[in-house]
Amino acid sequence: MLSKSKLLFLPLLLSLLLSASAIAENTTEEPVPEPKLTLSPEICITSADQETCDIEVTLNWQAETNKTVCIISDYKDLNKWCSSSPNIHSFSVNISATRDIQFVMIDKDTHETIAGVKLKVTQASPPQVRRRYRNPWSLF
Amino acid sequence: MPLFFVLLLAASLFFGVGVAKASTNCENNTDCIEVGRWDIGLALGYGMKSNPLKDFDDIPIYAVPTLAYYGESWFFDNGNIGYTLAEGENFTINLITTFSNDSAFFHRWDPSNIFLLSGDNTQSAIAPMASTMKAFDTPDERAIGELKNRNFTYLGGAEAFIYTRFGIVHASLAHDILDVHGGFESRLKWFYNIPLDRWNFEFAAVLDWKSEEVVDYYYGVRPSESFYWSQAYQAESALNKSIEFTGQYVLTKNWNLLLVARYTDIADEIAESPLLDKGYTTTYFVSAAYRF
Repeated sequence: MLSKSKLLFLPLLLSLLLSASAIAENTTEEPVPEPKLTLSPEICITSADQETCDIEVTLNWQAETNKTVCIISDYKDLNKWCSSSPNIHSFSVNISATRDIQFVMIDKDTHETIAGVKLKVTQASPPQVRRRYRNPWSLF
Repeated sequence: MPLFFVLLLAASLFFGVGVAKASTNCENNTDCIEVGRWDIGLALGYGMKSNPLKDFDDIPIYAVPTLAYYGESWFFDNGNIGYTLAEGENFTINLITTFSNDSAFFHRWDPSNIFLLSGDNTQSAIAPMASTMKAFDTPDERAIGELKNRNFTYLGGAEAFIYTRFGIVHASLAHDILDVHGGFESRLKWFYNIPLDRWNFEFAAVLDWKSEEVVDYYYGVRPSESFYWSQAYQAESALNKSIEFTGQYVLTKNWNLLLVARYTDIADEIAESPLLDKGYTTTYFVSAAYRF
């Protein structure tokens, strides 16, 4: 017959073993890199006088190295660009835009969407004006 | 006129009270002003403001400065101080201080004339020491001696603007706040802007009402000046009528060409004063204006 103390010990040992195996499983699994597309710069601020944003932006990604990607966008001069090699991880383009531009990275072969990023085009706050109640050149 | 102003004010209030950030249509650089920034300008050219007072010189104009500052609610505009009580897309109601333009005929350096700089200080609007009203068949009792001072005063009151597609209506009512004459002045003005490319034309029609106290103080005759005329001329409230034209041509961001013209038909109640020999006054000014 097992003593009372042994009866208590066995379940404890069992639970410890189970948890240890679970930890071992986690540590052996390869971390899956999140497909990430970044943009630099992310915001373009236009002056009050000039409404158009003229800037060179660079897209960077660190997707799976074995994938060749394409960049598509709603910018009129860049409907689609595809990298020639899976080793390419950046792309630069000159932008001349008055509104936000959405970039989407897709798998060149499967057309699966991998990631997306947006360039925000913002106009600098114009100076606050109000009505003027007198003609500046009124003669009294 | 005050009754009309009250009605106009009531109509404005009907549209809804509450200081609002009205959407303003700034079609040219005279419609709007940047908040929190001094607007400073100077127009150099030539013009003349005729003086309806007998024996008083016309006022030459060589330079017209402009100076304005608008805060969120307060504003200073060429000597006028104001506070915006309520503003909407179609209306504005302001408390204002302004000044009488009648004293300007008596004093060359009256604040009303500060914005009309003469290059020749010897050409004063102040009359010779005594102004006379002698005629071949008039006795000496009709002679007017040296005039007493007709002082400048500030007026305080309220004004309303109504913005319509047919132009802007401006109505104001103000009372003498320095107790110089204790009178009221009221104004009803309609003006219409026509911006055409680099040109801007503004046409205006103005009714200026002055209470009896105002007319009597500036155009009445004191017994010490002429006992006869102090009895013969009795001041009454009066309504002057004016038309104005301002034409601007934008040369550059800072430079404008400017033409300002005004004709005022002086009310009979004022024109009948023995101090006047004309029933009208005209002003014109042609210049190049620079805004800093």
